[in-house]
Amino acid sequence: MISPRLSHSAALILKALSLGHRFGFDIMEITGLPSGTVYPALRRLERDALVQSEWEPEDEATASQRPARRYYEITKAGKAAVLAATERYPLLAMLVPEKHA
Amino acid sequence: MTQCPHSLHAPHSLPTPLPPFDRKLLRLMRLAVPAAERDEWLRSWQAELWHQHHHTPPVSLSTSFPTSLMKPHALASGLIQDALWLRTESWRQALAGTATLCLATLLLLLAITILPALVTAGSWKAFAAFLAHNEQRFAIETLLIVFVSLAASAGYMETTTLRHRHVSHISLIRRPLFFAAKTTLIMLFTFMLSTDVCLPLHAYSPLSAELLQNLLFLLMALIGLRWSSHDGEARCKQCLRSLAAPSRVGRPSHNFLEWSGTELVCRHGHGMLTVPEIETSWCRSSAWICEGSRF
Repeated sequence: MISPRLSHSAALILKALSLGHRFGFDIMEITGLPSGTVYPALRRLERDALVQSEWEPEDEATASQRPARRYYEITKAGKAAVLAATERYPLLAMLVPEKHA
Repeated sequence: MTQCPHSLHAPHSLPTPLPPFDRKLLRLMRLAVPAAERDEWLRSWQAELWHQHHHTPPVSLSTSFPTSLMKPHALASGLIQDALWLRTESWRQALAGTATLCLATLLLLLAITILPALVTAGSWKAFAAFLAHNEQRFAIETLLIVFVSLAASAGYMETTTLRHRHVSHISLIRRPLFFAAKTTLIMLFTFMLSTDVCLPLHAYSPLSAELLQNLLFLLMALIGLRWSSHDGEARCKQCLRSLAAPSRVGRPSHNFLEWSGTELVCRHGHGMLTVPEIETSWCRSSAWICEGSRF
């Protein structure tokens, strides 16, 4: 399978997702990218099947007294694209720290 | 994407309400989102905005990204662009490859080519006079070019027409209408483009400029009509959308044993176009196979 060529910001977002950052605001925080870049990029990545999204279970959110939010997860194709992007942008791995549980 | 579990409940309840600016922005921008995705979009953004307002940055990040995300309207740009992206994406999906988009693009190109000619002519009156002067020449040249172009592709058209038994009557009317509109726009566009190139030379050498314009018009119109013919071939015979997902079938070296070539399908499942790799006695040209036909 041929991995799609990603822009630098899309690669950065995909890298953040691969490291466990799962929602838009979290990705903005970790990458420093503006919201106008992050959210449309997430839509494009989802359209291209590099990420998929699902809603957080309602009871988990209710227990924490907050609204449920949409979580993004990297797909198999997305993982291949991140590997290709890391080869293309060698500094990518150093830009995004891994998420601590 | 998984379906929003509470997609029918709007507005969604939040533990604490959002600030008035966010509520107004959400109310305004939700109008831009396609109706089918509106509820889910609203719920996602309510949650994102709520979390932004109740967020404490982790200690490790509080020095590196301290201010930008703490601004009250940090997500406003993302919210607006997300809504607009959904709207443009729905338009893109609805219009991609359609005959309407093709004609609109040609019309836009024609409008762009009229502008330089208009500027060079100096006024609408002078431009209209120029068009009136060239009207007869344009009509004769157009007829000749279209005749030559149609004669050259007559073999193909005859073959494909025979195989279109299953196409509806409306489609049979729409196709020649689309072809006629496309041809007219291509001829006008190439004429205006050749005018744009040659009109500035007209003041220095009128005869050479006219000759050069004729040659350019002829060349570009033939290329344009050739493209038009290829474009028409690669469209669904039912809905006139561009065919998608080209896939190569068979191997040319096995041509005596099996068919080889490219297959393209209509996104809406109206049928499939088979384009042979090599012309054979049993498969001379492209064939359109309708959905449900017994080929």
